[in-house]
Amino acid sequence: MSKYLQFPDILFTDRKLLLAALADLGYGTVEEGEGLSLFGYRGDQRPETAQIVVRRQHLGSASNDLGFIRTPQGYVPLVSDYDQQTLQGGRFLVKLRTAYSEHVVEEVKRRLHGTARRSLEGSLIKIKVRY
Amino acid sequence: MPEVEFTIDPATGKLEMHVKGVAGPACDDVAKHVRELLGEPGHEQNTSEYYLRPRVTPQIRPKSGS
Repeated sequence: MSKYLQFPDILFTDRKLLLAALADLGYGTVEEGEGLSLFGYRGDQRPETAQIVVRRQHLGSASNDLGFIRTPQGYVPLVSDYDQQTLQGGRFLVKLRTAYSEHVVEEVKRRLHGTARRSLEGSLIKIKVRY
Repeated sequence: MPEVEFTIDPATGKLEMHVKGVAGPACDDVAKHVRELLGEPGHEQNTSEYYLRPRVTPQIRPKSGS
């Protein structure tokens, strides 16, 4: 049985951008509510609850539900150790942060009524917003 | 023209921001938007531009009327 790990250092402050980032990774179907129970890959209910949940059916046959707990600072991911190692090639949280960061830039550009120019410098993504 | 340069590292997902062409604390407005969306930054440093006083061009208007 896979246990759940919380990542309090990884915060997603904005709900709308978090949902958009999840959709970018292919997890556009989520459940939202208060105290939603998480279920393991065998359908077993876990003690952990969350406010945003991606059900395991949308992840993989051996995956467990994926949750995000709302805190005063933002949403904190709750990922099973199995999914932490396997989802998105073991890079789920990094990819989610990258997608979230891209949406942050897009939102700042929108708020500033700016224009953006995107480029790659080595492995880094550079986005210049003029306003 | 003011510009904000964002750098995203896909190896970590971390975002860095550099505001250019804005003299003085006016760049705090941009930082405020980013802080709202990302939370408090792990590291924040003001560049030399931050300490520049914004240049104010005096305008002399001709007297109207009479």
